[in-house]
Amino acid sequence: MTASLAGVVDERGEVVAVEALGGGMVEISARLPHIAATARPGQFAQIRCGSGFHPLLRRPFSVAWTEDDVAAFVLAPVGAGTRILASMRPGDSLNALGPLGAGFTVDGEPTAALCVAGGLGCAPFPLLIRVLRRQGRPVTVLNGAATAGLLYPPERFSRGDGGVTVVALTADGSRGMRGLVTEAVAGNLSAGMAVYGCGPNPMLAALAAAIDACGAAPGLAEVSLEAPMGCGFGTCLGCALPVHSAADGAAWALCCTDGPVMPMATVAWEQLMNLPAPHVA
Amino acid sequence: MTVDLGVDLGRGLRLANPVGLASGTAGFGFELEQLIHLGTVGALYTKGTTRDPRAGNPPPRVAETPGGMLNSIGLQNPGVEHVAREYAPHFDRMGCAVIVNIAGADADDYVHCVRVLDHAAGIDGYELNISCPNIAHGLDLGRDPHAAARVTAAVRAVTERCVVVKLSPNVTDIGAVAAAVESAGADAVSAVNTFLGMKIDRRSRRPILPGAGVGGLSGPAIKPLALAAVAAVRRAVRIPVIGVGGITDTDDALDFFVAGADAIQVGTATFVDPSASIRIVAGLTDHLARTGLSHPPDLRWHHVEIAGC
Repeated sequence: MTASLAGVVDERGEVVAVEALGGGMVEISARLPHIAATARPGQFAQIRCGSGFHPLLRRPFSVAWTEDDVAAFVLAPVGAGTRILASMRPGDSLNALGPLGAGFTVDGEPTAALCVAGGLGCAPFPLLIRVLRRQGRPVTVLNGAATAGLLYPPERFSRGDGGVTVVALTADGSRGMRGLVTEAVAGNLSAGMAVYGCGPNPMLAALAAAIDACGAAPGLAEVSLEAPMGCGFGTCLGCALPVHSAADGAAWALCCTDGPVMPMATVAWEQLMNLPAPHVA
Repeated sequence: MTVDLGVDLGRGLRLANPVGLASGTAGFGFELEQLIHLGTVGALYTKGTTRDPRAGNPPPRVAETPGGMLNSIGLQNPGVEHVAREYAPHFDRMGCAVIVNIAGADADDYVHCVRVLDHAAGIDGYELNISCPNIAHGLDLGRDPHAAARVTAAVRAVTERCVVVKLSPNVTDIGAVAAAVESAGADAVSAVNTFLGMKIDRRSRRPILPGAGVGGLSGPAIKPLALAAVAAVRRAVRIPVIGVGGITDTDDALDFFVAGADAIQVGTATFVDPSASIRIVAGLTDHLARTGLSHPPDLRWHHVEIAGC
């Protein structure tokens, strides 16, 4: 099955702001009118890091939020590409291909929503939350990170909206509850809710296990996954993820076009957890 | 002087221009046709197609390296029956020549695939991948001039369509393999496929790619290696040579024509810039008009001319 790439545009616009959020997390926003106007929650853009051959490949980033003609992305400068992006200045030119990929389902039953974010997994949630709140749905965010400095600022999820509750968890107890974000799922999930997860693949596997264990069946459970990508638009077949059933009977789905958002039940979690941890370059 | 970008690959296959999309970087056209106008390029060389469907290798399948990337996709494809039945009927609308890349373990596999595909309209030729570094047997075929010639001759015997043989750079004497497949009836050769490479994850002290840890290296990093291979192949054969390896812009393409190519393929660059091939077509036209040359091969360096040509 061929993915629809209708509406994918290679666009270039000036950087509006590069903000350090503390702990090394950076939010970069740029005038990308097409992506800003058309990105759906959970979709991503393939961003060029510099103009040379190293790094060569674009890097995928979830669209974090959009405002008028501006689209924003959240990253941590951990590799060659992200370091270039984090060092950009307002006025610099940013090249982004998008919006790409399958986003979160937001047209189902208008139930309460639980957003489970692990570290940089916060990235797709501001845009998702805005759409959910327009539908009048109460939203709870479980915002987890290793330590306080790596937590996405809670007001950036809620933007002053009282209908959004943000619960912070840190592994070292430096802010909010001490523990892993997935440990708070049971206490915040009731049957029929929509659950949206984004974070490192092991965290998402733990989320799937936590939901299974708590006995309250969500009405919708979707996760945004990650995989090393070549192209981002379905031609290189590089970003394979193990799934229970895929198009054309394949054992693998493509993170870029079948995902990055997939139903939780589609992912073959055991196989995914047996894969080596992603290499950061 | 009028600029004529057209190039004959043999058996009546004339490409409108020499710029093609390399196998494995353009799928079967269905994604890229949504991003660029495929009618602007000369040819699309499809993803490697095998006798049976292949699910491909376990991830990670790609790893970035300085100026390049390693891949170990494992020839994921839906199999030749599916390509002939479901994909080929759409090839005409792509607006460029569609050359189906075929991979196999032995001559029987290639012959079977060509027989199935020969019944389908919309296919302009075949590119025999005797050099995929990601399956064991392909490597052997590409390394041995006799084995490469056997596969080429077997395919030549069953089709009237243009047959291109894609050469492996992971050999001692690429010219010998090129000459062998030319003698066996190849209409053209493409040079080169990816170079075997490895990247290590220092934390785990293991290669990043699974299995034997090796993959095919592509991208700008391999361009000087590919140019040398093209020049060696040019000296060895009279048939058209399709240069491929690290081409990202018009200047890169021009270098390949100087080294002896008659046509080129753009590969990894398409991942970074889906329009790279389109810009190269425009750039070649401009360059020829400016320099007063009529065909890209007119750029050729005389040292790579073969004797008697």
